[in-house]
Amino acid sequence: MNQRLISLATLSTLASSLMILQGCATAPPPAPKAAAAPAPVAAAPAPAPAWKQGMGPDMANSKLAPLPGKMTVTPVSEIPIDKLKLPPGFKIEVWATGMPGARAMARGDNGKIYIGTRAIGRVYEMSDNGKERTSRVVVDKLVQPAGVAFKNGSLYVMSINKVLRYDGIEKNPSVAPVDLTAKFNLPPEQHHNWKYIAFGPDGKLYVPFGAPCNICELPTPEYAQIRRYNPDGSGMEVLATGVRNTVGFDWHPTTKQLWFTNHGRDWMGDDKPNDTLSRMQKTGLNYGFPHCHEGNMPDDVVKKANPCAGVEQPVALMGPHTAVMGLKFYTGNMFPAEYKNAAFIARKGSWNRNQKTGFDVVMVKAGTDGKNAKITPFITGFMNPADQSFWGRPAYLLQMPDGSMLVSDEQLGAIYRVTYKKQQVAAK
Amino acid sequence: MQYLRIATLALGLVCSTATSLSFAQDISTKLQVCGACHGPDGNSKIAGTPSLAGQPKTFLENQLVMIREGMRDLPAMKGQLDGVNDATIIAIAKFYADSPAVSQAGPRNPALFEKGQVISKEALCGTCHLPNYVGRDQMPRIAAQREDYLLYSMRQFRSNQAIGRDTIMAASLYGMSDDDLKAIAHYLSQLK
Repeated sequence: MNQRLISLATLSTLASSLMILQGCATAPPPAPKAAAAPAPVAAAPAPAPAWKQGMGPDMANSKLAPLPGKMTVTPVSEIPIDKLKLPPGFKIEVWATGMPGARAMARGDNGKIYIGTRAIGRVYEMSDNGKERTSRVVVDKLVQPAGVAFKNGSLYVMSINKVLRYDGIEKNPSVAPVDLTAKFNLPPEQHHNWKYIAFGPDGKLYVPFGAPCNICELPTPEYAQIRRYNPDGSGMEVLATGVRNTVGFDWHPTTKQLWFTNHGRDWMGDDKPNDTLSRMQKTGLNYGFPHCHEGNMPDDVVKKANPCAGVEQPVALMGPHTAVMGLKFYTGNMFPAEYKNAAFIARKGSWNRNQKTGFDVVMVKAGTDGKNAKITPFITGFMNPADQSFWGRPAYLLQMPDGSMLVSDEQLGAIYRVTYKKQQVAAK
Repeated sequence: MQYLRIATLALGLVCSTATSLSFAQDISTKLQVCGACHGPDGNSKIAGTPSLAGQPKTFLENQLVMIREGMRDLPAMKGQLDGVNDATIIAIAKFYADSPAVSQAGPRNPALFEKGQVISKEALCGTCHLPNYVGRDQMPRIAAQREDYLLYSMRQFRSNQAIGRDTIMAASLYGMSDDDLKAIAHYLSQLK
């Protein structure tokens, strides 16, 4: 082996030969800390893998699997923005790119926008000089830092196992974070515990804790909840239970009630259950998980008597497996009057369904009491139903001060901007 | 004067390559470095070092990014991808994705092979890795991978040591015995 290395090294530069030697010197894998010991199978019954739970024998030959993410930078020239369709008068443009994994966005007081990710472990800061957008990495190597929120000059970042606060970051880009992790008492399970976070009208930080499985009895009661905290992590309250996995919420502009999107379970068939839009008309409500889906559908694996008794009914069924993400009530003045106080919802798109669905942004109009919800397509064209291909996955929405709306595309790591001009409609 | 002009020209070149991050750097030197351990064509002959040949391009891209970012902490790979831009990563991934996988397995143990075949089917590995285990998109080819590496990797997942890797896979091997994993590794390594 040494001879082989040396002969190769002579072909290369000194620097790279050193790298070769360094690389191969440590080639045999280090003994994993716990792996050499036999599996702890005899000690306790092993939990079933999250992805497989509830997958019936009739689905053993299914090839459905989570869709691949993309972790490399996508140049503007490779974004087929022209394929997107919106109602007349609306325009969509690539606002920024080069931020792989871009998900939720939070806008600072001075206009900088902070963007969370999952697998790539970064939080981005996007700046706008009036002509173009640039971005930098605020922090990296975090475990799925999907949650970002901004309050009183501070950026809050929540990963699966960490809570960080960056005071005055817009003016002081290199500010060291304050670690609030201990105060928030985050539970250990990772699955579905990447966060969406936001400050409510009450100044509290709202945090979801997803079910650590596809379908299961909860291992401990601290999951499938929505909670709120004081900004410093004190004063925790559990507001809702039975919420499988919400990664998007907003407060209704007139009632100030929390409305949230929620992912339904996998492997129950192509058409059930639906993802849902729900509202929290009061605290202490149960939204059904794991026994009851979409308000009236008993689970076929985790059973109990009267599974749907007392379960809060959803505002709207958002389509099976569509992956409902960001939710934003539109309160701006740029879009036509019919959009005022309507909810925009990004549906990232299905994987657990033989015919893809979602991959769009929809508009939901409903009464303030959550009745008579009507869903209308708003942005389509990320997915081609004819050949089942997709190129983008809309994830989150942010309303800008001028009333335009930003849409993050987690697949391409890009941010799009939606604007509306009245005269374009008049011209038609 | 002549030297100064050359120096200026060289400096200009350096600066322009440093700023145009959307273009791939020359990957031939890099591929020699990779190939020293992973095999010139990506079929590894070194124990503990995985084969990269025939892996799905997205899988390779994602892992290279994760290693560069330090999300996947591998001592053997430390520093190897520092400063390597995304376009270069895409080019490296394409090279190995296009290179055919060749099994490096030794003689077959028929009993172990058959046991591994049964367990792999029961555990529904083919749902994501495809029924012939050649992988797709973000999910790796496990057919024709090195037996020692498959076993090492599965043990890591089972004991939650696979930091920075897929949480779905992390849970898929809980509760399997070491003998089960050995059988799966033997079976998959023998495949084409």
